[in-house]
Amino acid sequence: MQNKRLTRRDFLKLGGALAATSVLAACAPDEATPQPDISQQAIPTNPLVTPEAQTPLPPVPMAILTLNRLTFGIRSGDVEAFNALGATDDERLQNFVTQQLNPDSLDDSEFENRYNKAGFETLHKSLEQLYADHVANNPYDSNNDSYWDWYSKPAHELADATLLRAAYSKKQLVEVLADFWHNHFNVYFWQDDGVPLLVSYNRDALRANMLGNFRQMLEAVAKHPSMLYYLNQNNSSDAGPNENYARELFELHTLGAENYLGVRDPNAVEKDSNGVAHGYVDNDVYEAARCLTGWRIDDNLGGWEEGVGISGNFLYYKPWHDRFNKLVLGQYIPADQEDLKDGHDLLDLLANHPGTARFIARKLCRRFISDVPSESIVQAAANTFYENRAAPDQLKRVMETILLSAEFKASWGGKVKRPFEAVISMIRALNSDSNRIPGGTHWMLGLMGQAIFERRSPDGYPDVREAWANSMSLLYRWNFAVGLAENWMNDDDTGFKINSDIYGQTPAEIRSASGLADYWIQRILNQAIAETSRAAIVAVMAQEYGPDETLPDDHVRYVLPAMVEVILMSPEFQWR
Amino acid sequence: MTRTLLPRRQFLQGCSAAIAAMAGAKLTNLAFAKQDSPSDTMVVVFLRGGWDALNVVPPLDGDDRGFYETARPDLKISNPLRLNDQFGLHPAMSPLYDLYQSGRAGVVHAVGLDFDTRSHFDAQEYIELGTPGSKSTASGWITRHLQATGISSILPVLSTAGQPTSLLNFVPTVSLNTPEDFSLWDNGLRDSHMNALRVLYAGDSLLHRAGTRTLDALNIVSPLSGGGYTPSNGADYNDDEFGRQMKTVAQMIKLEAGLRVATVDFGGWDTHEYENEGNGGYIAALLEQLAAGLANFYLDLDSGYTEKLSVVVVSEFGRRLVQNESRGTDHGHGSVMFALGGSVNGGQVFGNWPGLHNEQLYDHADLAVTTDYRQVLGELLTRRMNNSDIETVFPGFSGNYNPLGVFK
Repeated sequence: MQNKRLTRRDFLKLGGALAATSVLAACAPDEATPQPDISQQAIPTNPLVTPEAQTPLPPVPMAILTLNRLTFGIRSGDVEAFNALGATDDERLQNFVTQQLNPDSLDDSEFENRYNKAGFETLHKSLEQLYADHVANNPYDSNNDSYWDWYSKPAHELADATLLRAAYSKKQLVEVLADFWHNHFNVYFWQDDGVPLLVSYNRDALRANMLGNFRQMLEAVAKHPSMLYYLNQNNSSDAGPNENYARELFELHTLGAENYLGVRDPNAVEKDSNGVAHGYVDNDVYEAARCLTGWRIDDNLGGWEEGVGISGNFLYYKPWHDRFNKLVLGQYIPADQEDLKDGHDLLDLLANHPGTARFIARKLCRRFISDVPSESIVQAAANTFYENRAAPDQLKRVMETILLSAEFKASWGGKVKRPFEAVISMIRALNSDSNRIPGGTHWMLGLMGQAIFERRSPDGYPDVREAWANSMSLLYRWNFAVGLAENWMNDDDTGFKINSDIYGQTPAEIRSASGLADYWIQRILNQAIAETSRAAIVAVMAQEYGPDETLPDDHVRYVLPAMVEVILMSPEFQWR
Repeated sequence: MTRTLLPRRQFLQGCSAAIAAMAGAKLTNLAFAKQDSPSDTMVVVFLRGGWDALNVVPPLDGDDRGFYETARPDLKISNPLRLNDQFGLHPAMSPLYDLYQSGRAGVVHAVGLDFDTRSHFDAQEYIELGTPGSKSTASGWITRHLQATGISSILPVLSTAGQPTSLLNFVPTVSLNTPEDFSLWDNGLRDSHMNALRVLYAGDSLLHRAGTRTLDALNIVSPLSGGGYTPSNGADYNDDEFGRQMKTVAQMIKLEAGLRVATVDFGGWDTHEYENEGNGGYIAALLEQLAAGLANFYLDLDSGYTEKLSVVVVSEFGRRLVQNESRGTDHGHGSVMFALGGSVNGGQVFGNWPGLHNEQLYDHADLAVTTDYRQVLGELLTRRMNNSDIETVFPGFSGNYNPLGVFK
């Protein structure tokens, strides 16, 4: 059981894998590509940690590349469906991207059936309902299990639903983006008094905006109680601004560390033709924190604050707002502006800054193209971001720029699956059946270092391979393959099950070790592999038999899952 | 049908010596210049989040005590344990106080990263790369140390939490939480799996090398995975994350498989609000876990291992002198480090105290840094790790190297 008094302040656990490198690692420019237009390059970015040179992989068919990047892994039939989308690779990619960026057009009945059977009780609730039911009318009682169960139930259901969507929804790009944006605007599962509100944060602040406009998403995040609690904005007042949120707003949410100029005199920073500073210094963080004082939650549970209710909504609390003038990024923000305007001006400055366009573009390119995306595609995506900064579908257009680029089409081998992607792709590869994925999956993701929504620090999980190439992470990826293929994951206490029928999906006429290996290598990897690797897989299937001998049925039933596990454990399955 | 009835080929690797030889051979991916030589096992504990150095080791006396109390009306430590005439120790650190008094633990104050940043992520990265101000470094400081000294052991480097930046691009690192969790699940054909994985992961990419390393580690650690570890001398680790990590490191040291470096991460130190509240105090709970973990670790290894043991505790920065409105502290600058081990000149507070008067503070706000953290680590490498090549480990720093005398 989590101890609330501890967890509410335990928000910055920078443990685990490469907390620092991960944020910054992939920002090094690709030396092979020309540097971008210097007018767009507001300040010279530090060359950051350079991940080691990547082993070039031979190109794969467009279906394999696209499905591995835009989805959580290839299910049986996906490649055929992709190839039916057009006569040429470009046409198929264009049509697939169009479908995925217009998710309402997709028939998602399989997922919906599973979701309806999953028994979720809280995910339909509005922010106010979540707050009323699980916080305001669920008084804190640290030693009472039923208090904790009810308090954490919405967030647990959200985590379960996130697995289910990733595994079964046809709207796969939506799921990949939801994961990206939750990590970009990370909020830790067990933060402060707002645990049940995570359902609303994920749905109303992130998913509602992630194909829309960045400025709108930024404001939805800034005003969402989950973020206000997580980064201590909720008690930031003119008498003592808390700069935690303001700092991460610059460093992680908008301009990024690549535009941080350190502890410097703000007047000494170079400005563009509009008088906006090229990068930010510590003083900007403090002034931004002042702009945001009084941005809090309507959460007067103690009943002693005048003018504060208990709706759980965002509240602009004027008595806490610092009314005097501020200077942010070289821009003067006058005293005594109308309610909320100081903060809105701040968000405008940040969302419309070219440095933000590049930072967000780089991060998206890192997600969809390579750990170290070339400067050419980063700048192209940044240009789309910047030019469409007022457009209601700004982020959708940025995705089109990235996904239809030449850089995307030539990027196989640029990414290695992270634990979440590896686990879901195994479920998809085996066509495993579940209406509610058992909790052991969350536990194993934790051992791999990527429990869903449980990154404690605000930087989100790392997105470069170096962060995940460690023994514990790899070992539990292998163990998940065993647990899934052997049907060991079922949870008798909750009744949540996941079943993989490997034998039943194998054509009855294939009965030699080499035949079974070839069938399942093609089925899971969708391509041939090196002969030595194939031979090792055949040897697992054959055991004491010859590779081409007809195997007895009891041998097939027993050994087949073990052979499939090895294919799921292989390095080839880990590439994206 | 039970699986054990099925006849199957024996893929077992043979005796443990053969496993060791194979594992050793697999660890030569990096070209190491020199022969291994006996040195300490270095344990680096990184406190993530920026710990509040001024409440861990507060001033006891004089003007600085006055500045401290004025700046922290709700947070000041009123009953510190006495380290010397000038400084005290947070009372929650009492398990470590005994080791300080017996000369096994020492303190370095006003130490840290001498570079202008208050970003967690920048500061941690600079410290761990060992190149303040430059992130273009392709390897961590510990990586460069190991490349300079060479290794030939089976288990040279252990990380209990993934791969930290200090070990960036060091291939033979083994990460494991606890030996108990570190096994490949057995479906009855585990040996067959291990054999196939050896073939599948025989390659040069980062992923291939990580796989091979994992298989090596399984061979080494699996004899311990049955559990039942009994620490020596009645050491009784807390059942918290830090206690478990330190217990794992102690077990690996006792394996005598040549462990040179272990890295341990301990998070939660970003105390922006209600720092002293909660059951016994939020930061007090963290400090108790830290001190108990270190003290039990030392006790456990005080069975023939402490003379070759050096532990350092580091965080990315300290916190602001003045408390904030949330009764917490925001990101600051100067910090405090601890050293622990059989060869530490303990019982002393090292460093040059800059003072807490407004004009003495960094940026008029934070404890200043008067000792670069690399002084402490450089001394550790030179005096305990047989590596006097400071310039390779900390490029550009060797000219400033000026040991404080923390290590014998």
